[in-house]
Amino acid sequence: MANYFNTLPLREKLNQLGVCEFMDSAEFSDGVEALKGKKLVIVGCGAQGLNQGLNLRDSGLDISYALRKEAIESKRDSWKNATENNFRVGTYEELIPSADLVVNLTPDKQHTSVVNAVMPLMKQGATLLYSHGFNIVEEGMQVRKDITVIMVAPKCPGSEVRAEYARGFGVPTLIAVHPENDPEGKGLEQAKAYCVGTGGHRAGVLRSSFVAEVKSDLMGEQTILCGLLQTGSILSFDKMIEKGIEPGYASKLVQYGVEVITEALKQGGITAMMDRLSNVAKIKAFELSEELKTIMRPLFQKHQDDIMSGEFSRTMMEDWANGDEKLLTWRAATGETAFEKTPAGDVKIGEQEYFDNALLMVAFIRAGVELAFETMVEAGIKPESAYYESLHETPLIANTIARKKLFEMNRVISDTAEYGCYLFDHACKPLLADFMARIDTDVIGRNFNEGKDGAVDNRALISVNEVIRNHQVEQVGAELRKAMTAMKAIKTA
Amino acid sequence: MARSIRIHQLKLNYAQQVVFDGLDWAIGSGENWLLSGASGSGKTSLAKVLAGLTSSHGRMEVCFDAASPLPACVMYVESWYQFKNLEGVANFYYQQRYTSLQTKDVITVGAELEAFGAENGLQPGGLQQLASGFGFSNLMGSTLLELSSGEHKKLQLLKALWLKPQFLIIDQPYTGLDSRSRTVLNTLLDQAAASGVQLILISNGTELPACINRFAELVDGMLLQHNSSPQREEAAETPLAALPEFLRTRPAYATDEVVRMENVNISYGNKQVLKNITWEIRAGEKWLLQGHNGSGKSTLLSLINGDHPQAYANTIYLFGRRRGSGESIWDIKQHIGLISPELHWYFDAGATVFQSIASGFFDSIGLYRQPGYRQSRQVDELISFLGLSEHRNELLSTLPLGKQRLALLGRTIIKNPELLVLDEPCQGLDDRQTQHFNRLVDALSVNGMTLIYVGHFDAALPACIEKKIVLEQGEVKLAEDLFERI
Repeated sequence: MANYFNTLPLREKLNQLGVCEFMDSAEFSDGVEALKGKKLVIVGCGAQGLNQGLNLRDSGLDISYALRKEAIESKRDSWKNATENNFRVGTYEELIPSADLVVNLTPDKQHTSVVNAVMPLMKQGATLLYSHGFNIVEEGMQVRKDITVIMVAPKCPGSEVRAEYARGFGVPTLIAVHPENDPEGKGLEQAKAYCVGTGGHRAGVLRSSFVAEVKSDLMGEQTILCGLLQTGSILSFDKMIEKGIEPGYASKLVQYGVEVITEALKQGGITAMMDRLSNVAKIKAFELSEELKTIMRPLFQKHQDDIMSGEFSRTMMEDWANGDEKLLTWRAATGETAFEKTPAGDVKIGEQEYFDNALLMVAFIRAGVELAFETMVEAGIKPESAYYESLHETPLIANTIARKKLFEMNRVISDTAEYGCYLFDHACKPLLADFMARIDTDVIGRNFNEGKDGAVDNRALISVNEVIRNHQVEQVGAELRKAMTAMKAIKTA
Repeated sequence: MARSIRIHQLKLNYAQQVVFDGLDWAIGSGENWLLSGASGSGKTSLAKVLAGLTSSHGRMEVCFDAASPLPACVMYVESWYQFKNLEGVANFYYQQRYTSLQTKDVITVGAELEAFGAENGLQPGGLQQLASGFGFSNLMGSTLLELSSGEHKKLQLLKALWLKPQFLIIDQPYTGLDSRSRTVLNTLLDQAAASGVQLILISNGTELPACINRFAELVDGMLLQHNSSPQREEAAETPLAALPEFLRTRPAYATDEVVRMENVNISYGNKQVLKNITWEIRAGEKWLLQGHNGSGKSTLLSLINGDHPQAYANTIYLFGRRRGSGESIWDIKQHIGLISPELHWYFDAGATVFQSIASGFFDSIGLYRQPGYRQSRQVDELISFLGLSEHRNELLSTLPLGKQRLALLGRTIIKNPELLVLDEPCQGLDDRQTQHFNRLVDALSVNGMTLIYVGHFDAALPACIEKKIVLEQGEVKLAEDLFERI
């Protein structure tokens, strides 16, 4: 199978990268109609599979689960999850032939074998749904021409997809139709109906393409979302230990700090995050982040280039073929870092203290979000897509670090994201060695404002504010956040 | 030195409001107190001061008995208890416990108790006796999420009675407990007192343990002492204000058959929680649902409210439509107004009183859509009817429990639903509020609303109740008309 994106002429590459539309809620007024009375068969019953299925059934749709024979015979957890919640469960052979919509919610790595197994069983004119485009775009899976191929990707873990639905809300969702597989022109209507069934239409839906989703998703997760959060956390922690800050405090400051800091990001973008700092601290954080952007820009560009050319997926698939050798080695190494092994101390850290004493973290996050966004947009990805895959998701990932540090983050994200995260982290740390050598505890570990009178030059402050506020990620973000009506404060520890 | 707690000239403000301005209290050796008072009078605040959980102005001295074998501490058992999952977050939703999930991310009762015991150096032997007395032994393998509100209360009481601190403050010890458990609790409290624990119970109840020998009541920020449990004067029947216009019309019924269940069975693994339930509810009927803690009441109600995944495998008709015939849970919920302790427990902490009530239009936990002009007007009428006008824009979670409950009751009736499901609606309300609320239910019932009411206290039920169904270990033990219709 050839990389699908690379088979396209440049015109079509740009065309597909450019699909990006924030959908109006009026577009969902037909509810689940397009899927009403149809047979939906979900392949896989893990966290996404079970929770999406519960939502869809509660929205009045007909759901059953196709599992591999071994999973059924040995009564694996996926079988128990489905049967104990009274879903019909059967083998591929039993359920796929009558399915109108086959929903593939297995991990990326299994897509090729799952799709190869179900495709011959699917009836004429059925629809195949993905929640991630890797298999189609990077692996170049060719789907039978009578089959419609769509994507519905809730931008949250499965447990959240269910929790928000049960509350009467939903999670932001991305939908797409594969242009090579929309023979009847029904793809978009079905994707919208599925999205209503999971509750996503209440929280904001972005119409994208398989190509735009994959190229931006890979870039976001490798750089700002996972890669830089990992690098920034480890470097910040190590610096504090080197300079004699109490380890329990340092551990807690980083672990929960990323969550508290990015909560401001979620509510009001980079502007709100930077505004949580005093004027003197803001100017300092700005200077550090500008410096970080200059140092890291080539690395961000390299990641984007490798993603666009298919080099990234090629090397990662080599590792799959190699029994995940690199992935497993890197995962083990992350588990051994001092940050990971030092439990958060039993100290009270106030909400504002997470900003005042962790100015370096704020600088890392601004630099990472802006760089990822800028690099994606330069590569032809639309600003709205770039916003989703950079700023929007950062707080969600930070939340996993607050739960159980980097190990938890890497457990929750996909293997693809995890692989990319380590790749970035290992290249980024040496790049920042000189920069980190100049860092002291005034910007990480202690209150930057201590011993300063807080005076700043008016013009310096004004120009810093202008640069922050006029960045494109801020303008796009303000529009999109307004559309996502309800954003609830996450519960901080 | 004799054991005692002395408070002198206590001053405390809560959100710019003066709660106490110079309160004195002396708790002497051997004294077991009852602390009562209206909802919002400051009982919980005072308890938290005693336990050292709230900072205040004034002097407080706590003297422990060094010779006593009991731990020298003041333990406070909250009426409202929050737990977290294994990852340290408390992001739960009330329907969650009905879904089967293999990966357990919440710890079990057994593990929770074991950790508590290890932390405090307690002997497991003492626990077993307490647990079996409470009928709690078979819950050790359940996760915290699976417990009902009454079972959560028992878990907190078990910990306290196992620890036997020198001073034990229990906020609303009887809330959510069935009548048998209340009797057991009083016996256990008497035993604890006999072994040297000094009790301070915060309650407006009248079924107290015999060991209570001091009585105090909070009135206007002052502590009044009485010789016996303060007789709640029969609240003068203040006439109920006229119902808002939108609640004075009969709800629109699509069919006379509101609920029909045929041989309903619900189980998790090998544990069967409902057995062969057959139940029919017709438009306008007023039902009382009773049963001991853990008898399956909440599960039964969750089937009616579209909250239980196993409804799809049973024969259940709601509002004339078979469950699993292509309806959505939102289609069902729009006919129902529901309140339960679990719904309150996991309610959106970021919602104001206005938002909480308005969310009833959309059956959401918290408000995610803008109510229209007429809807907003109705919410405001109801807020004023419930006497909550001054709290309209305050966060629900910052109000005293009784007022939170009132607001959530407002949420259940805001759309004048066909079916009102009130699962222990008066938990946390004082006697006057309970009486007031039940009269409100009676007034609503006149217009033809259908009612299912769950209450453990026979003396505190609305007068309109006409039918009763009782569950025992998941089976219908009794279903009867309470009186002949005239």
